[in-house]
Amino acid sequence: AAPPEPGEPEERKSLKLLGFLDVENTPCARHSILYGSLGSVVAGFGHFLFTSRIRRSCDVGVGGFILVTLGCWFHCRYNYAKQRIQERIAREEIKKKILYEGTHLDPERKHNGSSSN
Amino acid sequence: MAHAAQVGLQDATSPIMEELITFHDHALMIIFLICFLVLYALFLTLTTKLTNTNISDAQEMETVWTILPAIILVLIALPSLRILYMTDEVNDPSLTIKSIGHQWYWTYEYTDYGGLIFNSYMLPPLFLEPGDLRLLDVDNRVVLPIEAPIRMMITSQDVLHSWAVPTLGLKTDAIPGRLNQTTFTATRPGVYYGQCSEICGANHSFMPIVLELIPLKIFEMGPVFTL
Repeated sequence: AAPPEPGEPEERKSLKLLGFLDVENTPCARHSILYGSLGSVVAGFGHFLFTSRIRRSCDVGVGGFILVTLGCWFHCRYNYAKQRIQERIAREEIKKKILYEGTHLDPERKHNGSSSN
Repeated sequence: MAHAAQVGLQDATSPIMEELITFHDHALMIIFLICFLVLYALFLTLTTKLTNTNISDAQEMETVWTILPAIILVLIALPSLRILYMTDEVNDPSLTIKSIGHQWYWTYEYTDYGGLIFNSYMLPPLFLEPGDLRLLDVDNRVVLPIEAPIRMMITSQDVLHSWAVPTLGLKTDAIPGRLNQTTFTATRPGVYYGQCSEICGANHSFMPIVLELIPLKIFEMGPVFTL
């Protein structure tokens, strides 16, 4: 492939599962897929050890992969969303602090003023 | 701006677009798992001798394939609705701009700045200078501040148009006789491109939208127009 021209953004490294799921650049995707694969092996192999049914163990393995991947995905994305909200609140507060520090609108000054009274 | 062979979404320049990208990732993961399940079922169908013709009913399987899609739909619908309501929120905008679609250009009205009105036409290829983008650059850009809530009032004077800027997560129909509104807060300075997104006639492809987002401090010193 031709080297990128100056000014052109560098091509980001990406691994796309089934051609569309970008595992490298999607937060939580890598963890979920890896834990899902582990869950698949554990569920499938465990089922095989107990029942010795090959075909049904494969089905259980696939089911295990889907369930564990989904579980990990929701857990991780929930935490990620919470973190993003906290980051946004912190950013807003820092902005307000810079804007209002030393003025009569400063929340800390208001607070101190009311406590001294 | 999108690259020539870009398939995915553009990088976010507003909180709404960040949310949309998050939702896009979420939907893609669910689609991936559905595809995986379907591919596995196909593989089994192709590698199994289809000799069992005695199955007359399978209640458990039917229950599963009814409940499972319902759960999947709920898992997609809830975050989708959340973003839908977030995009409709109008939080005390600092600036209101009116955008009017015409065949085939956009007119902008800065109602907060003494009724400044100008047209925004695409630059014809003969007028392009080195570095200008063909079919995307315009003669007059819309200059707006970042980090400030902005309300766009969108309408049309002739046929249906659509005012869209993908990197801000905006797409609002311009409808004659109706005034639609949308709000956004840009987080990064830069020049951002959009295009009319509703087929509006012969030159539909030749009425781009260009936003120049600049820091509020510079914007307050006087809107910089390339008139």
